[in-house]
Amino acid sequence: MRAHSSVRFLAPLLVALALGAGQHLAAQSPAQGPAESPSALLARVDDQRRVTDFTFVMQMTSFDGDKQVEADTIWGFIKGVGTANRSLVSFAGPASVKGRKLLMDGPVVYLLFPRTTNPIRLSPLQVLLGQASNGDVVRTAFSDDYDVDSLADDDHGGVACYRFTLAVKPTRTDASYRQVVLWVDKEHLHPVYAEFSTGDRLLKQATYSDYRSALGREIPFSVDIHDADNPRKHTVMTYLKVGHKPMADTVFRREYLPSWVPEQPE
Amino acid sequence: MKTLTVAAAALAVAATTLLPGAAGALDGQLLLDAVPTAALVQQAPSAPWMQAETTELAAQGAVSHTQALAEGLSLSGSVWALADTLPSGSPLSTPPAKLDLESRVLELKLTWEALPGTLIVDGGKLLIHPSSGFFRTPLNIISHAALGTTTNLSGSAVGTWEEGWVGARATLLVGNLTVSNFFSPRLDWSDAADSVLAYVSSRQPDYQDLSRVTLRVGATDLQVLGLVSTGGPGSADPDVHVTAGAGMDTGIGDAITVRAEVSAADSTSRLAPGSTQLPLAVVTQSVAWAPRALAGFTWTGADQLTVMAEYYYDGAGFGGSDYRQLISYSQALRGAPGAGPDLLDQFGTFSAGQHYGFVRIAGPVDTTLSAAAWTTVNLQDFSGLSAVVLTATFDQWTLGASFLDAWGTTDTEAGLSPLLWRVDLEVSLFL
Repeated sequence: MRAHSSVRFLAPLLVALALGAGQHLAAQSPAQGPAESPSALLARVDDQRRVTDFTFVMQMTSFDGDKQVEADTIWGFIKGVGTANRSLVSFAGPASVKGRKLLMDGPVVYLLFPRTTNPIRLSPLQVLLGQASNGDVVRTAFSDDYDVDSLADDDHGGVACYRFTLAVKPTRTDASYRQVVLWVDKEHLHPVYAEFSTGDRLLKQATYSDYRSALGREIPFSVDIHDADNPRKHTVMTYLKVGHKPMADTVFRREYLPSWVPEQPE
Repeated sequence: MKTLTVAAAALAVAATTLLPGAAGALDGQLLLDAVPTAALVQQAPSAPWMQAETTELAAQGAVSHTQALAEGLSLSGSVWALADTLPSGSPLSTPPAKLDLESRVLELKLTWEALPGTLIVDGGKLLIHPSSGFFRTPLNIISHAALGTTTNLSGSAVGTWEEGWVGARATLLVGNLTVSNFFSPRLDWSDAADSVLAYVSSRQPDYQDLSRVTLRVGATDLQVLGLVSTGGPGSADPDVHVTAGAGMDTGIGDAITVRAEVSAADSTSRLAPGSTQLPLAVVTQSVAWAPRALAGFTWTGADQLTVMAEYYYDGAGFGGSDYRQLISYSQALRGAPGAGPDLLDQFGTFSAGQHYGFVRIAGPVDTTLSAAAWTTVNLQDFSGLSAVVLTATFDQWTLGASFLDAWGTTDTEAGLSPLLWRVDLEVSLFL
């Protein structure tokens, strides 16, 4: 069954979710000042990156050192924000996966192959595995899942930053990472770099870059994620197009998937 | 008939070129198979069975396209064609023209979202496939048989190529509820016409109306469906028949998906042994409201390893003393080839009993290569089919190899099957 042999092709999905569901808003009003609590500041970082009804075309390129291992192009639609998002995703390339469509609504995941009408139920883990675990790295609505342990001033790549040290909330036992250290550009409230760990062991490193104005926001068009266990391996996720398109809540149904016609953003 | 397929593909290409706002480019798949097979065959109706090894060569392809015509309006279609050197699988039954050619319009539908995300109307040739089963599909109560004749590498009940039904459907999505109704008319024609039309579409012997209601409760999808069908006045079967079914898909934690479904038809006919002694005789039986049920799960472990297990029950199959009679009949038939019809395969390959189990383990070897092994077992006599599959996936093509073995003693279903083993070497090219 190709559904189960194609898990690697699902890798971009959560990444796309993450990027689409939590775009960072341009800093209309950066830090409010010393009176603002660290938690409130973090919540503002999250709150300002909300884009709902988000459509996109994304290129996912995985590398082993300098060698490109695979490259996938996906078209997608995301409704909602943070961990509450729901998505429809279509694979546009390479040819061996073209035409596959995927629905994610919380733990409900269905994959549909071309020329069939039987969406196959997948477990969330089948989407999370492999490079898709990068999705956890970038999708995080930090204030939803983490408490601020500490906040300090720091410098990252010559940019003045807030450095948040975050610990997973006791209620979020399902979170993939127990601790996150997040560097946020003070001037724009852009996350620029993050380290995701178990608390003892570093797992992922994410670099957010190429912020561009789109949809009235400042969106990181590129995220480069390194696997801490194997630093040679990394995945670059790049938006090719982004857009906004309202869709009904009912489209996130198994029965809708065969009828869904993916569209590129205007 | 090649012309038909080429013409359809050309139309699709033209549509891509001429119409604005293409939602997706033309895509397609070409599958090349070499299938060495060992099977028991008869040289003549009364001759003894002997093992024959043959190699079947087949090339299949399908081309698909979806075209957005306007906001909420789209046209999509798929065409399929096959060239096969040995569709029967038997070296004694070769195609008259040395190469068997088939083609079919799998799907050709116009879809209109009358109320975006809420009311969808589509018509044309549609695929209807509600089942979530992998190894068996009780809820696919109006599905056509899988197209293509080569080995199903995966052990799945549904093949790579499916043909739809001509009809119209309305689907209403409200909240967590989805209600749909599909109607397909009777489409029948003469055998002479079928010699041509079979390259485009299969006959539809019945009027059919399928209603389906699905409900999302938490992370669980529930569905019930009902089918009313009749051949209508003047047909071979003018009676009205009813089939009902229900199914459930859900998940447990992050790693397990669970599915269960059941369906039953008001009557199912089968051929049963009338005599297991020579001369052999068969009788036609009708089984009322025989349930078909499936329960299964898929577990995903570390490193993308997946384990799938399914149990299938077929109330129309043979059980108990009926099954023992069927085996006795089939043993007698093995000793006296041609003395009666083969009853073991009347429901399809390895489907004569009531209780079956299926287990499949699959996982990646590296970023390119994946491996799978599966076995299906008749739980009444513990015979079965087992296979191992290796698949290498690249951007534009895949390369697959599988070995399938039938195992069991000569008083079992698999042991009595003519199929002994089969190898499949498959190249799949993607457009």
